[in-house]
This record gives sequence, C-alpha cells and structure tokens, in this order.
Amino acid sequence: MADSRARLATLTLAGASLILLAGSRGGVHGDQRYDDPPFLILQGVGLPAVDVGLMKDESHGPDEPEALRRRALRAALKADESPRSSASFRPGRLIVRFRDDAPADARASAVRDAAESGIITERPSYADFDIVQMAGRDDPAAAARVLMEQHGDVVMYAQPSYRLHTMFRPNDPLYATNQWNLPMVDLERAWDIQPAAGSTITVAVLDTGLAYQDATILATVPAFRDERGRLYPALGRVTIPYSAARQVVPASNPDRIVAPRDFIWDTNTPFDFDGHGTHVSGTIGQLTNDGVGTAGVAFNVKLMPVKVIDSVWDFLFGAPNEATDEVVARGIRYAADNGAKIINMSIGRSGPPAPVMEDAIKYAVGKGVFVAVAAGNEFEDGNPVEVLAEIASRVKGAVSVAAVDRAGNHAFYSTTGSYVELSAPGGAIRGFGASGAIYQQTFNPDSTDTFLLPPAQYRAPRFDVLGYIPYTGTSMATPHVSGVAAMLMQQGITDPAAIEDALEKYAVDLGPKGRDNQFGFGLIDARNAMFGLGLAK
Amino acid sequence: MKAAIAALLTLTLAAPVSAQGLFAPSPDAPTISLRPFVEISNEKFLAVKTFDAIFGETTARFWGGGLQVTVLGDRVYGEIGASRLMKKNAELVGQRVFVSDGKVYKLGIPLRSTIEPLEISGGYRFHVHPRVVPYVGAGFGSYHYTEQSDFADPSEDVDVTHRGGIFDAGAEVRVFRWVGVAVDAKYTHVPGILGSGGVSQMFATDTQSSAQAKHERDLGGWAARLRIVAGR
Repeated sequence: MADSRARLATLTLAGASLILLAGSRGGVHGDQRYDDPPFLILQGVGLPAVDVGLMKDESHGPDEPEALRRRALRAALKADESPRSSASFRPGRLIVRFRDDAPADARASAVRDAAESGIITERPSYADFDIVQMAGRDDPAAAARVLMEQHGDVVMYAQPSYRLHTMFRPNDPLYATNQWNLPMVDLERAWDIQPAAGSTITVAVLDTGLAYQDATILATVPAFRDERGRLYPALGRVTIPYSAARQVVPASNPDRIVAPRDFIWDTNTPFDFDGHGTHVSGTIGQLTNDGVGTAGVAFNVKLMPVKVIDSVWDFLFGAPNEATDEVVARGIRYAADNGAKIINMSIGRSGPPAPVMEDAIKYAVGKGVFVAVAAGNEFEDGNPVEVLAEIASRVKGAVSVAAVDRAGNHAFYSTTGSYVELSAPGGAIRGFGASGAIYQQTFNPDSTDTFLLPPAQYRAPRFDVLGYIPYTGTSMATPHVSGVAAMLMQQGITDPAAIEDALEKYAVDLGPKGRDNQFGFGLIDARNAMFGLGLAK
Repeated sequence: MKAAIAALLTLTLAAPVSAQGLFAPSPDAPTISLRPFVEISNEKFLAVKTFDAIFGETTARFWGGGLQVTVLGDRVYGEIGASRLMKKNAELVGQRVFVSDGKVYKLGIPLRSTIEPLEISGGYRFHVHPRVVPYVGAGFGSYHYTEQSDFADPSEDVDVTHRGGIFDAGAEVRVFRWVGVAVDAKYTHVPGILGSGGVSQMFATDTQSSAQAKHERDLGGWAARLRIVAGR
C-alpha cells in the first residue's frame, strides 16, 4: 500500500522499467568495465545520520483555509483535554484531618452532619489524618465541603480520596505538537496500563525494509528513461552513505531487530531504500519518552524487518526480485516461522484473487500470529477491492484497516468496502496540510528521491539524511493497529482471533451505527481494549 | 466447612445424656428471647462462570453476626444479620479479563470486589428433639456490592445496593444451656447487580442455557453456614 508519494515513485519505476540502458548490471557503462559486485552493502561502515528534524510544509500560510481549519481543530482538541481524572476519587471514603484539640464527640457530630452514614475508622498507619467511611450514595466531595465550610473549628481539612495513576505522556517533543494520531486512539491511558509497551512481542513489518544499520552502499546505477521518455544518465559506480533511523533502532539496543530478512535481494540485510518501511516501523515502535522526535505505539516491541517490497532504488541497484504475491507469501511464512507474533502489512494490490497469500495468512494466523493489512488508498481511483485486505476480512485473526483523518472522518483516499474491519489514524493532507499527516522518522525524500528531479539534476541518493517526515495513507493507519495488537498480546490476549475480537468490540463506532464499509467496526481504542471487563461493568 | 460440621457433631455427642432434659423447650420458656449470634458461611456463587473468570474461584467465605428473636415458645423466629467477606480488607481480588469465543484471557489489571449483605429473615423452629431444633426460614436482604479496578475511571467502578431473597433451612443444637450451634444451608437470589455489564453480561448473553444465563445475572448462591447462638 503506497501513500501518494510512494505512488508517484511507483509510476516513475514503471516508466523506468520500460527502458534500461547501458548494459545494466555489472556490464559496461561507457568505456569502463566494472568487475566489482554490482551491489554491495558494507554493514556498519558509515557516519551517523544527518538529522534534518521535522519537515515543515511551508506551502500553507497562516491565512490559508487549511490553517484556519487547523486552528479550529486545535481549539476543539484543547477543549477536549480537560482533565479526565478531575472527579476520580474512591467512593465511600473521605480523608479528614481533625484539629488535635477537637473532642471525639465533636468530630463524630461534624462527620454525621456532613454525611449521614459517615463513620470515622481506625486511623491508618503512617497517617496524621483519619478516614471517614460512608455509604456509596453519599458524595465525598460534598461532605468535604460541608466539613470545611461549617466545621472549621473541628476540621483542618477534608478531601475525597482521589485516585492517582501514572501520568505517562511521552516527552518526545513532536509528540505534543505533531502526533495527534496517538492520543486519538487513547494511547496515553493504554500506556498507563502497560508501561512496558509490548516489550516481549516481535512485530514483523513486511514492507520496503528498515533503516536499522549504518552502512556504506556500493552500487552500480545504470541509465534509464522515465515515463515521459526522458533519459537519466548512468551514475556508474557510486558510494552511497546509509544511516540507521536511530529513533527506531537505537545504537544502544541493536537486539531490538529480530531475524531481519530481505526477499527482494535474498539476503538477511533488508535495507530500506524507500523510507516507507522505516516510517511504518516507527509508528509501531519508535523510541519513546527519550526527549527526541516522535513517539511510537508499542515502543518497546522487537522489530522484524522483512523486505518484500522493492523501491525504485532497489530496481536501479539491480535487485533480483520484485514485490509479487510469491515474495509476499514467502515473507508472511518467514515471519510466522521466525517468532513474529504480529505481522504488519502496509501493502496491497487490487486485481485477481491471491490464493497463495490467503494460504500464507491462514498459515500465520494458525501459528498464533495476528495480521494487520492496509485496506487501500484508492477510494477516489475507482475504489477497487484490495486483495490482501479482502483476505484478511475472511480470516479471524487478521484485520483490514481503513484510515481516518485528523478530524476523525473517513480519510478521502481510504478504500471502502464490505471487507473493511477497523479504522485507525492514517491522516490526510487535504484539508489539514502537513499537520494532518502522520509523522515518523525516516529518510528525507529530498536526499533519496533524486529520480524525481529533472535529468540534469539527477544524482546518486543519500540514505543518511533523516527527519520526521509527514506520510499519509492506510499504510500509516495499519501500524497503529499492529502496535495496539502487540500490547494486547503482551497484556494476555494471546490468540489472534481474540485480539481481533477485542479490537472490534472496543472500537469507537463511527459513521452509521454498527459495522459499515467506511470505518468497519470503528476507530480502534487502545485503552478500552486493554482494560477489558470486570464482573458487573 | 467439613471441619466445622465435625466439631459440631463432636460437641453434640459430648453432651451428657443426663443433661439433655435441660435443653428441651420448656413450657415456661420466655415469651420473647433475644439471641445474638455470630456466623461464618461458605458460599458457592450462582454466577459460576463470572466469578471463575475474574477470581479463579466460585466460592467465598463470609463472616458476620446479628440478632435473633424467638417468640411463641421458641417456635417462631425473626432475625437480622450482616456479613462481609472473610478476606483481607473484606475484598475478593481478581483481575479484569477479556472473553473471546468462550475463552477467558486474564489481563493482569487488579479488580477488587466487596459484597456486604444485610439480611432480615424469619421462620419456624421445629422442636422434634430435646437438643436438636430444625428450622426453615425465608426473608430478604439488601446487598451492597462494590467493584474497583486499577486504572478505572469513576464511571467504570461499581457501587450499588440491591434487594434479594433468602431461603434457609438447618438445625440448631444446644451445646450448653446458653449456647447453641446451628448449621444450615442458605440460598440467596440477588438479581439486578450482575448481568447488565462486564463479563457477567457477556456470559449471560452468550451462554446457550437459559438457566445458566439466569445464574450469571445473580449475585446470590448456595451457602453452608455455621452459627453460634447465645441465649436460650
């Protein structure tokens, strides 16, 4: 599943694929013969990334309609941020500090005046105050007011027994300013329940790979013509710097990466030459609460990058395989066989059925793996049936994920159909500008997508310039579901079908009542899914 | 409970035969007798699936006490009693769950419940034996139920009181002139608290058996009760 930028890249690739000049892989370029391997990754050889930080969208001035909408939205969201816990006290209990010289009968009398059922209990240890127990029907806040206002001669202070809880709000600076998407699915309260955020779970990301290591890439880049017939010259032998996305794979925690695999190159080094897979991985597990950049959903999960999608550069570098049903099916089985408990597939296609992928998804679910699949971005392009998403809807334990925008509405591009099961934030630029997108750390496209430049400016890419880049699409919605699924699995819901049940049961119903073709069962609610059921409520 | 019954039988058998006449109801028995009591009971909840899912057990012990009044030559009685769970802080402690396809997944979020019955009942005492007085009774109760979970918002906790019905039958054995020991079985029916939310609602809705569905909506159950009564 590609966002609009990736779609453009795919179109370019389609054009490029028509004519590849200059003898191609390992051949002759001009009068120079290359005997070295045409493509070589020197792992661990490279300089740290250049961090360009947040990529700003400067095309939206303050008087633009989008800006006005953003302001209105911010005001609305601000209003919604009133403290949820303001009335969160334990019923039937009141904390009272009586004056030392107040006699017992005066204390009892004051308590009875404040709450008919109030009884002063035995003073708890390590307390210079008393606890008044009262019937659940009596309001401790009202009783406290009566004691304070009418019995000041007896009482120094009185207050309900307010509950405290961890107040985990990540300190990543862009979380507060740009990541509307994570609070939208109530992740802060979910993190309160599970601070470990999926630490025992491995999530396989079947995508374009992951920037998980520093490296130096040695490649031979042939000439090609784009879709308009323009000739892009051969770059010959190039040395390309490559840096890990350190907010996804910190240098201090290389063990976070589990069983990496590249089915495009048939190697175990699934380097991302696009940025999509790194962005998706970031939404699932971006390093969080480290005071840098953005946050991720299940920020302690282990990640298994499984590269099944080729990018323009994979093609130009001479990758032997491309993204096909066969490659993706193998990737699914590989992930299931190598310890993944969640598979994220922000990928897809329309067209004829794919029994090979259906078998693979059933195989994975049968091994206890939950699978999340993007529902597609082609609503305005004929709204075709997305094959993988449709399969997911028929397999209990696999789900298809549609996208909502920042306002919680159906994202304009999100494919609809009877197979849509859940929704998650996928963002939208239209109507919101860049603030309506999903931000994560990945490559700066200005440095990587040089094939989008005119031929005269075309140059070798650099994969060492990273920033916090706005993406939109059901590709971005899907990792929200995968991250929450990882947390649910760690919380104890170990069966993929039960995870699907929980996500659907607790989804916030959007659109027409009940399941519908735009939102499925609704917007996922991480906290409520993890909170589960008590006896009576 | 087995140990309690054995102790009761031992006490019964240990009483000297020559003294048995002392315990028979006498024509000059007081018109009204006030008899305080303490009791413990072991209750098997009707909402078996619900309690098993949350607490991993379907029974709970209660302790309590009250006052019994007998009239008409010790043949008719009325009583009021209160009890609470015989647990630390009078709480059952379990964890929140998710249920899918009948399977329970424990979520590790602590949940604490209290049940505080206040019961009023009355009945008839059969003087069929000098030392053993069988009785049957019925009544009603007010059942205060609370449920609190970690990470809960106030609206997600439960603090309700609901009425229920009681039926009990057992026998009281005079072990001393002023002390009796009673063993009985008690059935309580407490609708209105379970079944409208939470896992009890899920079980009540999903179960195939209408009887079990009814049970999952009932906070009551069957209890074996041991009681020590003071007074004649």
